[in-house]
Amino acid sequence: MTNGGYAYGVSLYSYTSEFGSTLTLDDCIEDVADMGATGLEILGEAHVEGYPDPPTAWVDSWFARLDRLSLTPTCLGSWVDTRRFGSRPMSLEEARAQLETDIRLAARLGFRYLRPKLGVVTADLQPDPVWVPATEQVLDLAADKNVVICPEIHWPSVIKSKVVDDYLAFIDRTGTAHFGLLMDTGVFQNRGHGRRGGTRSRLGDGRSAPPDVPQVPVADLEDILDHVVHIQAKFYEIEDRDGRLHDDYIPWAEILDLLHRRGWQGHLSSEYEGDYGVGRAADQLRRQHALLRILAASG
Amino acid sequence: MLDVPMIQTRGFHNRAGGFDVRVRLPYYRGLWTSLIEGATVSVDGERHAADTVEWTIGDRDFTLAELTSSRDARWPVDVPATLHVSRKEPLAIGLHDVEVELRVRMSYIPEELQPTIWSEERRLVITR
Repeated sequence: MTNGGYAYGVSLYSYTSEFGSTLTLDDCIEDVADMGATGLEILGEAHVEGYPDPPTAWVDSWFARLDRLSLTPTCLGSWVDTRRFGSRPMSLEEARAQLETDIRLAARLGFRYLRPKLGVVTADLQPDPVWVPATEQVLDLAADKNVVICPEIHWPSVIKSKVVDDYLAFIDRTGTAHFGLLMDTGVFQNRGHGRRGGTRSRLGDGRSAPPDVPQVPVADLEDILDHVVHIQAKFYEIEDRDGRLHDDYIPWAEILDLLHRRGWQGHLSSEYEGDYGVGRAADQLRRQHALLRILAASG
Repeated sequence: MLDVPMIQTRGFHNRAGGFDVRVRLPYYRGLWTSLIEGATVSVDGERHAADTVEWTIGDRDFTLAELTSSRDARWPVDVPATLHVSRKEPLAIGLHDVEVELRVRMSYIPEELQPTIWSEERRLVITR
């Protein structure tokens, strides 16, 4: 179902706390179809059996399932793990090979978009500079495979930043139609969400603190929207208050208003990142889709 | 099918020369094994350093050095790893407090906030 050009999707990242334990891949994808979503986003390194080279039988069953459930593959999540080789940086050849592998996999599974998550080299999340020549060298392959490469703008990155300026400069300089931006709506959060449950974890040995991130106004999205090819509709908690649905973290009304006004086309791919717990993702995803549909209808 | 926690109920066994503990990757995706820095295993307060723990993932066996230097091995998110711990005496049948600390290097998080360290304690039962 579309609203002014956008359609509803789900990223299987949402089911992280249950995938492999209480839910199989089949269960997760059935759930996406059941809530009426049409777009399916997956993570290559999580959900593709035998990544990066799934068995033919797996690929056959992938397409049979998509067909049966009328789902469209949207975005394949991938990683350029620049710290993969210990203390030495990843070479240009290695970074290019990783991107080529994932472009080929995306095309093989019918995905239009590939989101490589790039390794960073600074505290303010500048990507490893190897991304520039490596991406440039795979643009022909991306064109040949009809895949658009789209790094994400994800909290704690902000829109007005050198990182995003560099992506836009890359598009300008190369003139490519096979590179765009993925917008993660967590960037617009009004306040932080402390995720409960899951295995206890910490970042590093306590020598450094996570960054203090300014709140990003939705208006900043307008400046780059022409280059946004896919939206991860990140959310943490949709509350049931007074018999109505509320999101106290992400300003959906403002976001949808902008998308409507500009006639943005693509998928709002829901990404639940709230508390862990059996059954939570399925319920929260439905709450979010209902909230978005209610707001879209009243906008 | 896996347990939700990192430390699995199944796979906790004595074997010749030590005992095994099974763990899942408590992350949202599988990893190249070279991104793993190691897992420390403690049982009833007795600590076994990461470089003394050997690994089996799927049908492949690794020392820690082999795990971290491999260019192609992967730890899929839905495949548990068995940690082999050396010990002179078998663990007594019954309850044991098992603690695992797993360290993984993430490329997309600033280096000063790395590695990512998961830690968990569970009271497990060993039956053989």
